[in-house]
Amino acid sequence: MSRTAMSRTTLTATALVLSLGLTACGGGDEKQVSADAKQTLTVWAMGEEGNRVAEIAKTFNKEHPGITVKVTPVGWDVAHQKLVSAAAADQLPDMAQLGSTWVGEFIELGALEPVDTEVFEEKDFFPAAWQGNEKDGEVYGVPWYVDTRVLYYRTDLAKKAGVQGEPKTWADQLKLAEGYKKLDSTKWAFSLPAGGDGAWQNWLPYLFQAGGTLVDKDGRPTLDSPESVKALTEYAKYFDKGLARGTRPTPGYDVIKDFGADKVPMFASGPWMVQNIEDQVPKVADQYETVPLPSGAKQGNIIGGASLVTFAGSEHKAAAQEFTKFLTDAKTQAKWYEMAKSLPANQNAWNEPQLKKADVEDFKASLDAAQAIPPIAKWEEIAHQIDLTLEKLAKGGDPAKLAAELQKNAESLVS
Amino acid sequence: MRAPTTSTPTTTPTTSASASSSSSASAERAASGGKAPAPRTPASDRSADGTPKLRRDRLSRHNLAGWLYSTPFLAFFLTFMAFPIAATLLMSFTDFGLRNVTNPMDAEFIGLENYTKLFQDELFLKALFNTAYFVVLGVPLTIGSGLFAAVLLNSGIERFRTFFRVGFYAPVVTAIVAVAVVWKFVLDPSEGLIAGLARELGFTAPDFLGSEALAMPSLIVMAVWRNMGTAMVLFLAGLQAIPTEVREAARVDGAGAFQEFRKITVPLLTPTMLYVAVMTTIGFLNVFEEPFVMTDGGPSDSTLTVSLYMYREGFDFFHMGYASSMAYTLFVIILAVTLLQLRLLKDRTK
Repeated sequence: MSRTAMSRTTLTATALVLSLGLTACGGGDEKQVSADAKQTLTVWAMGEEGNRVAEIAKTFNKEHPGITVKVTPVGWDVAHQKLVSAAAADQLPDMAQLGSTWVGEFIELGALEPVDTEVFEEKDFFPAAWQGNEKDGEVYGVPWYVDTRVLYYRTDLAKKAGVQGEPKTWADQLKLAEGYKKLDSTKWAFSLPAGGDGAWQNWLPYLFQAGGTLVDKDGRPTLDSPESVKALTEYAKYFDKGLARGTRPTPGYDVIKDFGADKVPMFASGPWMVQNIEDQVPKVADQYETVPLPSGAKQGNIIGGASLVTFAGSEHKAAAQEFTKFLTDAKTQAKWYEMAKSLPANQNAWNEPQLKKADVEDFKASLDAAQAIPPIAKWEEIAHQIDLTLEKLAKGGDPAKLAAELQKNAESLVS
Repeated sequence: MRAPTTSTPTTTPTTSASASSSSSASAERAASGGKAPAPRTPASDRSADGTPKLRRDRLSRHNLAGWLYSTPFLAFFLTFMAFPIAATLLMSFTDFGLRNVTNPMDAEFIGLENYTKLFQDELFLKALFNTAYFVVLGVPLTIGSGLFAAVLLNSGIERFRTFFRVGFYAPVVTAIVAVAVVWKFVLDPSEGLIAGLARELGFTAPDFLGSEALAMPSLIVMAVWRNMGTAMVLFLAGLQAIPTEVREAARVDGAGAFQEFRKITVPLLTPTMLYVAVMTTIGFLNVFEEPFVMTDGGPSDSTLTVSLYMYREGFDFFHMGYASSMAYTLFVIILAVTLLQLRLLKDRTK
């Protein structure tokens, strides 16, 4: 409580002060430096990538000795605010890695330089990843790495519960969860968030699997469609039957310990969990299986990951393009997979030996089935509305009514 | 009683007026047209450099050193406090949103729209209610437990006094993140301390942070634990300032321990009580960290406080105009509550 209302107000206003002062002196200059000239390219990268980009940049320097790549690692938790503040103060770097759902917001801010589609071609990348950067015919980012969701489930416990075969459909998954529930060791059969920050990531696959979409061709939300109601109904089943915890998880809950302790034998998550299971609960590393998310009316999934963007205010756009070209090249991407375990966004990289020998088939299948989240300026707010809807749903709310309410809220956010 | 001769001219009349109830003081004042008479004291005859001039220009060379000394503070204050505070006020009358982050001048003035919207916003009203809930329960509990601990430490416990003082004060200086880790463990419904104890005794502990009814009380308990140390230290200082003769006199008159506490300790602690009450209430009205780290406002917004909602609107969604209007609403509420407290808890012992 030591941070007072006023000091937060101060923060808000300091951002404004900076923007007032600095936008006045920035911008307007077209002093572009050519790619061959000696220069420093500043790059912000987040999380694990932030720690490793500098390493791979050394290879880049062999071809482009004149370009010094200066990487600033930024934590994911603060990255969003830092980027917006930097945009306000006109202090953005030359390029950055942007979370796939942030692109819409930065397009709205006018901070991004469109991508040259002669140099980067849609056909090389996963369509869902590419489309997440596309607005009104312009492309603002090049997909760098992708992630998606697969279903993790304990095979030994499934056997114990007497459930056979891989879960391939919604019905299979529900049957498996009901089987798990009968085991004494089980606390919750399925880890499905009942709302809370980021719960939307778990629900969107259901929407896509039901054949639904987020928005129609004109960008109007379609969250009250019959498909959306169907997805909500399916999601709610796990709470109604006591298969998933009906209250939202406390911030920072990590399913992995419960997964290892037989308490929560099934969850849906991204590729990074494979490594985490090996590190944190090695005793069950051979006792589980990953499968593509079970399908409803069809296969469906979300695509996450990050894109590489060049900021409009950069004076080193040519160098930034070279570096982006290098990072999204199939060979570099395959090597990058070995270094950082990030799944390549460039589809050609999946034919490289490094990925051929890795067990990533399920992820490939999921990525092919994934649908894009279009770059909506107020996506964060819509996502928050979905989180709130799921919370009400888990408490026994009526799917049709909630879908109508969600639609109304979403419509007011998309103008 | 006349004022001592060393008093400066401006303080003399007030001292004399309040110290003596004689009619001469008021008559004197009336004669000088309500203005303070300036008795000729040695100090007022000549000022430091020997000139007979009484009033000096505030910005004269003599004061230059003072202004220079305060420049670092003033520069900081004006840049990082006064200007932003004014800017926030302006912003609260605009529709400042995400796109204005890069073009602040495009924000449009919308008058009081943010404020009217605020009071139709169910979520804000809920946040207001939650904050009030937190304050109404949390502040008396903090003051009560702080006072209780202080009284015990002041007279009851002889041994390990320092140990207990440190123990009660430790939560105040511990980082909130560390506190959150410990409390999450205590409250965890499956592996937590309370859940474990309950299991031993054959009960099932509720899911404290996951239940709409219990989440806020849990946070209140945690906040009381975190803040009672401050209250305790202040009360201890206040208790030590109560002269022993007063207590002895009470005891000689036959007062028991409880009577002594009620008739001597509490009234003489009123100034400390006022300070503790005002500071604790301001802190509790601004409650942010506890729900931020423990529940993120949930479940179902049952722990969403005004500050947390403000943060979410301002920094998650960049509705700066709307968030600013919330900041000012909270500011007005804090100001009103503080003024009310200053009035209610006026020191009546003098």
